[in-house]
Amino acid sequence: MNTFKRKSVKSVLAVALSLTMIGLAACSNSGGNNAETGSANEGNPTDGYTKNLTISLGSTIKTASSDFENEFHKYFTDKFNIKWDYNYIEWDSWAEKLRLWISSGDLPDVASWNYVHGDAVNYIDQGLLYKLPDDWKERWPNVAKAYALTGLGDKLEELVGGTYVLPRPVYFENKPADPLINQIGVIALRSDWAKAVGFELKDAYTTSELMEFARLVKEKDPGKVGGNLVPIAYDINDALTNIVMANSVHSRVESAFYKDAEGKYQWGPASEETLAALKELQATYKEGLLHPEFYTWKNGEATQKFTVTGDSAITSLGGLASYRKDMDTKMKDNLGVNSDELVHTAIVLGDDGKYRNLDQVNYWSAVIFNPEISEEKFERIMDFMEYTTATEGQTIVNMGFEGKDWKYGENKELVSLLPEGTTLDKKYPNRFEGLYVLADDFSVVNPAIKKEYRDRSVELYKLKAELATKDKATAEYDWDYQLYDSKAKNQASFDYATEYTNLILKPGDLEANWKEWVNSKMSLVQPVLDELNNLKK
Amino acid sequence: MKSAAAVPAKKPGDSKFQLFLREVWKNRMVYTLVLPGLVWLILFAYLPMGGLSLAFKDFKFREGILGSPWVGLDNFTYVFRDPAFLDAVWRTLAINIGKLIVQFPFPIILALLLNELRMRRFKKSLQTIFTFPNFLSWIVVSGVVINVLAYDGLVNSLIKLLGGTGINFLGSEKMFVPMIYLTDIWKSAGWGAIIYLAAISGIDTDQYEAAQIDGATRLQQMFKVTLPNIMPTITIMFILSVGGLMSSGFDQIFNLANAATKNVSEVLDVYIYRITFQSSTDFSFSSAVSLFRSIVNMILLLLADRAAKLMGGDGLFR
Repeated sequence: MNTFKRKSVKSVLAVALSLTMIGLAACSNSGGNNAETGSANEGNPTDGYTKNLTISLGSTIKTASSDFENEFHKYFTDKFNIKWDYNYIEWDSWAEKLRLWISSGDLPDVASWNYVHGDAVNYIDQGLLYKLPDDWKERWPNVAKAYALTGLGDKLEELVGGTYVLPRPVYFENKPADPLINQIGVIALRSDWAKAVGFELKDAYTTSELMEFARLVKEKDPGKVGGNLVPIAYDINDALTNIVMANSVHSRVESAFYKDAEGKYQWGPASEETLAALKELQATYKEGLLHPEFYTWKNGEATQKFTVTGDSAITSLGGLASYRKDMDTKMKDNLGVNSDELVHTAIVLGDDGKYRNLDQVNYWSAVIFNPEISEEKFERIMDFMEYTTATEGQTIVNMGFEGKDWKYGENKELVSLLPEGTTLDKKYPNRFEGLYVLADDFSVVNPAIKKEYRDRSVELYKLKAELATKDKATAEYDWDYQLYDSKAKNQASFDYATEYTNLILKPGDLEANWKEWVNSKMSLVQPVLDELNNLKK
Repeated sequence: MKSAAAVPAKKPGDSKFQLFLREVWKNRMVYTLVLPGLVWLILFAYLPMGGLSLAFKDFKFREGILGSPWVGLDNFTYVFRDPAFLDAVWRTLAINIGKLIVQFPFPIILALLLNELRMRRFKKSLQTIFTFPNFLSWIVVSGVVINVLAYDGLVNSLIKLLGGTGINFLGSEKMFVPMIYLTDIWKSAGWGAIIYLAAISGIDTDQYEAAQIDGATRLQQMFKVTLPNIMPTITIMFILSVGGLMSSGFDQIFNLANAATKNVSEVLDVYIYRITFQSSTDFSFSSAVSLFRSIVNMILLLLADRAAKLMGGDGLFR
């Protein structure tokens, strides 16, 4: 009896031990496969990351520590078994902080970087950025597919012999128009004030027409805001985009060096077109249509005059539907108004009626990795990006959870389940998980954004494309220039918004001041022009 | 006696180095006290000077300071090609010479006045009030100044309330430099006065008693006793200020400047910041600019020291 009992206990223990061993083996096997192969091709990696990893991330999306406890963030941290060491970067110090981090070797494991070509080549040359494995495109196909659409990725690979930077695609599955023109250069104006002063609502206005509207508002004060009235609420960067660039396409840093009709490189800020644009900006300021101290405003302060205090008739908005949605939310929260009845969006033309903007390459900023990142962490981040780039991940990142925040409609269209007045940003604030594909892409189809805003955004993109094709006045993206790097080119990089603002505020004759300014810059500009023109030969 | 006995006796054939070692051993207690300061100086002031070699190199992070290739004076060629650099040099000198004239006397005057106060508690309270702003960062002070002087700020609201028209204080090139001086005086005069108050406290009280017996008034005592006694301290502080003429308060100017005041606010430190962090990173270029600044500062310091000695005062180096 005793012997039998002892034997049966032994058997039970042996079976239990065997099962445990099998279980452990199965678990470790699954983890091992994941680490080796990255993720499943569908962008939906099998959960099974046995080791918890703390990953440091540098991002410009502001978060609070409490955010990490919400269901949304927890979904991703649980799914990928990670803990974020989150490093928030102020928008205004983004470029500077990344330079410091990269140069000092203190870059977080992964960071979003405002890609600067000269810096990229320099950093790669110095080994300051992680080189992705040669087979990364096969292992993370969704990321590779989106990467291929940026254009920059392949060109940079040719130049430096490998992938060190993942440019972030603006559009992936939902490109709104062809050719694609930069989203900047869309303004919002108070439609109720326009009606009150008899100003016609259109899809496109010349800069003079907008000045005329501002003059009417200043004269009649339809909103009864008195001394607080700011007819046009632009900061120095908005003024550069919506007044100077609208009249002189090569006035900005992105397009300042360009090839003329003969294929010779020129410097746009020295052109008569730029002078004319500056005269218009100065007139706008001197007439009191801009705020007397618009040059002291930091990022976002100008728009607040429109959305928070309601003191302004015109502000710079940008072309994304999500911007319009944010404006609507802010106006509702701060002014208690329905912005649909008060806001009209439009694009800005030059005074000659031509449309000027930048041809858009399909990337904005880039994802980079610390050169010392462990293979394990790198693979986990890539799995994460693979998932969030695929349809399932994109839907969760941009819309929340199926059945709770959204559902499929009868025609398989996305239907938001959020109650009226609630936005996903309010429900799950500060979602930074869309690490790779920019939100611009999904915003075209995102039902969390009103259909009217999405349609209007696409409409304006199409209008831009149509005018760009007709007028041929947009700035071509010049890969030769963009991929060229030299000490002289780096030295001739100016903060044009500051330079122009200073010029129009300077006492004396603007034309004389501008000529003097152009001459003062030529010692830095001419060497770049010479280099570029010789490069061409 | 004991330590003297421990010093090996001087021999006729000893070299200068041996004599030096003997001297050090003899005063070893004093040299032990100097040691921490000396170590600090070597670690944090002299060793980092090796980094200045970057000014003559094409710095590559991975190759480090020593491994990066030498490029001679190439970086200086780029520095002097930029007209903004020379503008920044002259602007820095102009602002700082102005500071020296306008601002330098304030802590001295404040110290002299505080010294005349007889109510000890009142004197201490005033001293605390004057010293407090020094502990505020320039970001805070600038924020306050901008809010007070902005077009929609406190001062302009008052002006408008009284029927006047608003003034662009923050965007005025003419007002920028005075604003720099005023805010700096407000922030640092109290702190600067501490050094002079310390010097005043070291004056032998017999001199005041003798002056009183001779019938000197309080004002005469101030000019005939206090001021001459703190003159060596004033001279040293002046020489040190001259030595810093090429460095101006970066955080103050950076936080108060804007696009409208760019032509009067881009001093050398702001220029170095701009070329280092706001355009493509080039540490070699920035080092070249910094080295140039340090050399000019050194020359100015030596000139001021020489001038002080020629005028019969004490210099830094005796």
